[in-house]
Amino acid sequence: MNPILQIRGVERRFAGAGGGTLALQATDLAVAENDFVTILGPSGCGKSTLLRIVAGLDQPTAGEVLLDGQRISGPGADRGMVFQSYTLFPWLNVLDNVCFGLRERGLPRAQQLEIAHGFIAQVGLAGFEAHYPKQLSGGMQQRTAIARALANSPRMLLMDEPFGALDHQTRELMQELLLGIWEAERKTVLFVTHDIDEAVFMASRVVVMSARPGRIKLDRTVDLPHPRHYSVKTTPAFAALKAELTESVREEVRRAQAER
Amino acid sequence: MKPLTPVSPGARVALGVAFFVVFVAAWSAATFSGYVSKTFLADPWTMLKSGWVLLTEMGFAEDIGMTVWRVVGGFVIAAAIALPLGVAMGAYKPVEAFFEPFVSFARYLPASAFIPLLILWAGIGEAQKLAVIFIGSFFQLVLMIAVTVGNTRRDLVEAAYTLGAGDRSLVWRVMIPGAAPEIAETLRMVLGWAWTYVIVAELIGASSGIGHMITDSQALLATDQIIFGIIVIGVIGLLSDLLFKAANRRLFPWAALGR
Repeated sequence: MNPILQIRGVERRFAGAGGGTLALQATDLAVAENDFVTILGPSGCGKSTLLRIVAGLDQPTAGEVLLDGQRISGPGADRGMVFQSYTLFPWLNVLDNVCFGLRERGLPRAQQLEIAHGFIAQVGLAGFEAHYPKQLSGGMQQRTAIARALANSPRMLLMDEPFGALDHQTRELMQELLLGIWEAERKTVLFVTHDIDEAVFMASRVVVMSARPGRIKLDRTVDLPHPRHYSVKTTPAFAALKAELTESVREEVRRAQAER
Repeated sequence: MKPLTPVSPGARVALGVAFFVVFVAAWSAATFSGYVSKTFLADPWTMLKSGWVLLTEMGFAEDIGMTVWRVVGGFVIAAAIALPLGVAMGAYKPVEAFFEPFVSFARYLPASAFIPLLILWAGIGEAQKLAVIFIGSFFQLVLMIAVTVGNTRRDLVEAAYTLGAGDRSLVWRVMIPGAAPEIAETLRMVLGWAWTYVIVAELIGASSGIGHMITDSQALLATDQIIFGIIVIGVIGLLSDLLFKAANRRLFPWAALGR
């Protein structure tokens, strides 16, 4: 099967003294349709940069990204994104936030509402349609952001540490929620995180990136069965994979610190 | 007292009123006792009485109407041009690069210094008064609106792009609504400044208005009337401020939430 997303020799160098900083070293990655790929790495390894390049919010200094064989030149509604920071539009309530992309596409209002209500219910926020972002908790805001991205029916979902700002308990619930949605819809997901548990629990495939300059150093398929229950985190198979990834990431964190 | 501890709404009003009471009491003490001569400062009672005379017998209400009309007129013209220009400057950097240096220069030009020129150009009619208000508020408005719009949160811009927004709808659906409450605040503030310009404009070459009444009273050493005129300006300013604040709260409930 052809991959939905192809990252070919993508490199990102930030301008600066002495030739600048190489944040991302020529990186190749192919993501298959319906895959849930998590990108794991120490902070500052360029994993967010890679995701932003796929989103079209940043331009690679070399290489190219293809979505369905088409070269990406800028951001678009075909790649929905959920950010780590809370990016709901504060002047719109939950319903209109979720409708934002649909309105942009020029859909009739009735159709917008129908789609939006469906996704709001799916993320468990039915009854909160009229709330403004400031009236919501962090977890609820991120759930709205997921609904907003999904409502656009993008080809794939890009997530940049979407649960990074949430407390531990909320984060685990959000992981289950997102995994449940993925199991139902099989949307292709590219998910950046530095949380190893999160990376293994959610993924059908985990990619580990090295410390700066970032490149892919490990690529593991996660064979844990679906539907996954949170209790999977205590199984030997989960523990073994986590141990391997922990070792791999630790090595990079060490290296990054030694260079400082 | 513990820093930053809020006061209850009731106590807030009481404290606010208390200062007015203290102020009037000090003024009364200074004037009724004869410590300050009547020639220099009228007492509150005389001030109120001559205020009543002004309103009932000398047509001061008409002066107030004229002044309000001038402020609102000049300010609305300034805002009507400043809004689109400010938004364009905030959103499009070449537009900003073109206008910003001149506007920054022009906003330091004191509006009152233009009065002799404006009298030469526009006479002493209404056009001259409106022009003073316009000069006084336009450049400030443009600059502040441009900064507000330019400060749109970048992550919201990026979110809008990933949701399929184009450049045009980014301005209309993200930058403008996001900046709107702060722009309304700017309008409220600059309207307050416009009040100071109108009085200056009326002090020179006017045949009506609160400022005109004040200059007339000066010739008669009528400090009671001058003070009444000043207080009227203060009261109108306070009212317009309250109206503006109430309107902002109604228009932008999302911005006031959790504040």
